[in-house]
Amino acid sequence: MPEKLLEVSNLRTYFFTEAGVVKALDGMSLEVNKGQAVGLVGESGSGKSVTAQSVLRIVPRPGRIVHGSIKFEGEDLLSKSDDDMRKLRGPKMAIVFQDPTTSLNPVFTVEKQLTDILMLHRDLTKEAASKRALSLLEHVGIQEPEKRLKAYPHELSGGMKQRIAIARALSCEPVLLFADEPTTNLDVTIQAQVLELLKQLQKELNMTMVMITHDMGIIADMTERVTVLYAGKVMEVADTPTLFHSPKHPYTEALLKAVPSVKQTRALEVIPGNIPNLIEPPSGCVFNPRCKYAKDICTKQEPPLEKVEEGHYVACHFWRELTLEGRAG
Amino acid sequence: MSESRPKRGASQWAVAWRRFRRNKSGLLGGAIVIFFVFVALVGPFVVAYPARSYLSLYEGDAGTPPSFKHPFGVEDSGIDVFSETVNAAHNDLYVGLAATLITTLIGVLVGACAGYFKGVVSDVLLGVIQMFFVIPVLLLILLFARVFSVLVFKGLGLTLIVLILAFFGWSGIAFIVRGETFRLKEMEFVQAARSLGAGSYRLLFRHIVPNILSPVIVIATLNIAGFILTEVVVSFLGFGDPNTSTWGLLLNEGFGYVRTSWWVSLFPGLAVVFCVLGFNLMGDGLSDALNPRLRE
Amino acid sequence: MASLIRYIIRRLLFMIPVFLGVAILTFAVGNAAGNPIDLIRAGLRNPNPAVLRALTAYYHLDRPVWERFLYWLWDLMHGNLGVSLSGRPVISQIGPWTFTTLELQILALILAVVIGVPVGVFSSKHQYSKTDYAITTTAIFGYSMPVFWFGIMLIVIFSLWLGWLPSSGAVSVNRPWWGISFLDPIAHLILPTLVLTYVELATFVRLVRANMLEVMRQDYILAARASGLSERTVTYRYALRNAISPVVTIIGLGFGAALAGAPATETTFSWPGLGLAFTQAALTLDIPLVEGITIVITVMVLIANLITDLVYAVIDPRVTVQ
Repeated sequence: MPEKLLEVSNLRTYFFTEAGVVKALDGMSLEVNKGQAVGLVGESGSGKSVTAQSVLRIVPRPGRIVHGSIKFEGEDLLSKSDDDMRKLRGPKMAIVFQDPTTSLNPVFTVEKQLTDILMLHRDLTKEAASKRALSLLEHVGIQEPEKRLKAYPHELSGGMKQRIAIARALSCEPVLLFADEPTTNLDVTIQAQVLELLKQLQKELNMTMVMITHDMGIIADMTERVTVLYAGKVMEVADTPTLFHSPKHPYTEALLKAVPSVKQTRALEVIPGNIPNLIEPPSGCVFNPRCKYAKDICTKQEPPLEKVEEGHYVACHFWRELTLEGRAG
Repeated sequence: MSESRPKRGASQWAVAWRRFRRNKSGLLGGAIVIFFVFVALVGPFVVAYPARSYLSLYEGDAGTPPSFKHPFGVEDSGIDVFSETVNAAHNDLYVGLAATLITTLIGVLVGACAGYFKGVVSDVLLGVIQMFFVIPVLLLILLFARVFSVLVFKGLGLTLIVLILAFFGWSGIAFIVRGETFRLKEMEFVQAARSLGAGSYRLLFRHIVPNILSPVIVIATLNIAGFILTEVVVSFLGFGDPNTSTWGLLLNEGFGYVRTSWWVSLFPGLAVVFCVLGFNLMGDGLSDALNPRLRE
Repeated sequence: MASLIRYIIRRLLFMIPVFLGVAILTFAVGNAAGNPIDLIRAGLRNPNPAVLRALTAYYHLDRPVWERFLYWLWDLMHGNLGVSLSGRPVISQIGPWTFTTLELQILALILAVVIGVPVGVFSSKHQYSKTDYAITTTAIFGYSMPVFWFGIMLIVIFSLWLGWLPSSGAVSVNRPWWGISFLDPIAHLILPTLVLTYVELATFVRLVRANMLEVMRQDYILAARASGLSERTVTYRYALRNAISPVVTIIGLGFGAALAGAPATETTFSWPGLGLAFTQAALTLDIPLVEGITIVITVMVLIANLITDLVYAVIDPRVTVQ
């Protein structure tokens, strides 16, 4: 019986800004089993990053979790005190952020940033922490780690910085890792390396990983199960192969069609429009303004998440009627 | 949601204006500034005594504290403080605005050139900008003002003060403009324009300069406040023009007998504080409006 | 370390042309009437014969302009600032004045930083609260008012009406204030320091607050929280360290500005420092004295800037890279 590591139910995280209340997450659910590699996919602004921030409860002001439940290893995270949450951040759960240039503190050396965490959570002395930091750098494939340890982030390349960010996230061997668009800001050639590294590390440490991305290619490569997020709501959840072969949601179909492949002969299809205003989201199904299959009911009633088959859920009024194009291979 | 006719997108200025309207302190600042402009323009025609008039002396009111007839009191010399404060408003505002105008022009020109061109030109310009930034300008301003007031027979005059202030005060804007130009020059829209055949001057003035307007506007507004304050200091110390009504001059006259006639120091000072406050608040409001930092 | 030293040398080299620039401007103004003696006469002062002889020699009036400038510069660098119209050598008077000015300025600066930085941090952490509002408003008044006017108002209240504090000078001429002689200088320091500190404080509070707000938004702060570091560590070690560098620059520039503003502050309190001396010398067109004080203050400002650059480089090593 696969053990449920993370259970997010009906999570609503809102940002209370001067311009209005931004509903970044509006009833989002996620289930991750131990040891799984799960994907969270959607466009920018769909709420992917906010999900990770919400689980770790580091949602920046003016954001706040207003509703829902988050269970980690069976425990309710939302009722935990801040002190208890801090004990989890690092040793139990961690995030690798998108842009290594901004996620590393520019005025501290690499060593300091790593040893601070190690000394805090593992109660090591400075020397022991430094040694461990060194071995971490080696582990993530950094050449000449002694030199890099003493360096400042601005002296390092993008790929190296991201490896260090990964090292930082893994320094206390967390059980759950959120990888928030870890390769989006990197060169294409480096991207593959970093993804390989993540895959390898996940296997080695038997880590549960949530891969947050907008890139369906990465989803195909790295994940077993995937949740499709749009405007803070879940559109579809399925095992990765199933999602690719037989998607049941128009948004999923559109995402798949937007990924080019070598064999393709027709033109790339673009999803018309932009992500909706999260302060005043569309009524009914939140995707309806951009959905080519939308009918009248779609503007009036929000579709509930329905079961297609075991492990495959979709939120669409017409999933039974529609035949959507998936991708072979 | 049905498809409606596409609305024309809001220009960045419209967005900024909307944001400024929501900023309460910025609006307050704007209101204060408008109030002072109004007083400066209309006031002199409405107040009881003309500028630098010792009339109250003959009326026997010299040196009296605030009263119904003289809301801000009277100087020992017979000048009605209220009228004089109002009469001085347009001079102080003139100095602030004129100096800002000149320094903005010089600063944008020098800063843009320093940021855009490479090599020796840029380095030299940067050096000059930094030099004027670092030096103790007030001392030099006072020195220049004193020397010129002795040498120029008609006396100093406000315009000369403006010129001296402007000569020493352009480095702040130049520095920011240089930084922004430097940053923008490397951006892709400039590369794009260049690839379409735009030459240096066109690039500089049609593409880059419009994009640096935002910080320039903010700094210019704050500079008005700064120049007014500087003029007040210059006049207070006695280096200004003794024949032109300015708030600083009032403060200078009041300081000598502050023990007995404190009102001469209080009210003009309050006028300065609120006028400068107005520009500072407005500048802050503009800064918030033009530099969006909210993330969705 | 090597890049740090190189950076300091670069800054030092930069200071040289700046100093020269000020020297040129000062010299130019001093010679605006053709030569300094004529300027003094234009101010309706007639130096007595002994002084006249000394100044004619000092300024090398028989030489062309650029030679005069070089002689003057040479003298400056060797500490010879000429003779003031009172007959006394400029350099001998500047010593005590400098000390008096620095006494006030440095005290005010330290207080402003020590109070201003924590208040700014506090304000940024409680953004939009009533306290933040009160602090921001007080700060904005602080830098909207002329320093000297605030001083005058405080003098009126605390010295003239309440009689608690002295209104002028650094020490009392007759009875020591509050009857106790060692408290006397302290009593005299209170008002000027208060005034100067308040105005400088206002700038620091605003700046620290704005920078902290900016820094706290950054990803590396989010990442630090995500690593389980405590809020205190995140705020004071990770965030402040980043937010403080522009503040350091402003402290340096602010000190320079405060020094430049010494004439106004010291005139208000009759504080016998360089500022007061400058004002009186300029008003009486005592050109050698005025030039000397200007140069001395400029040197102090440049030193302050150099120290600022050094501190900045230590805090934020990014700046040492070209």
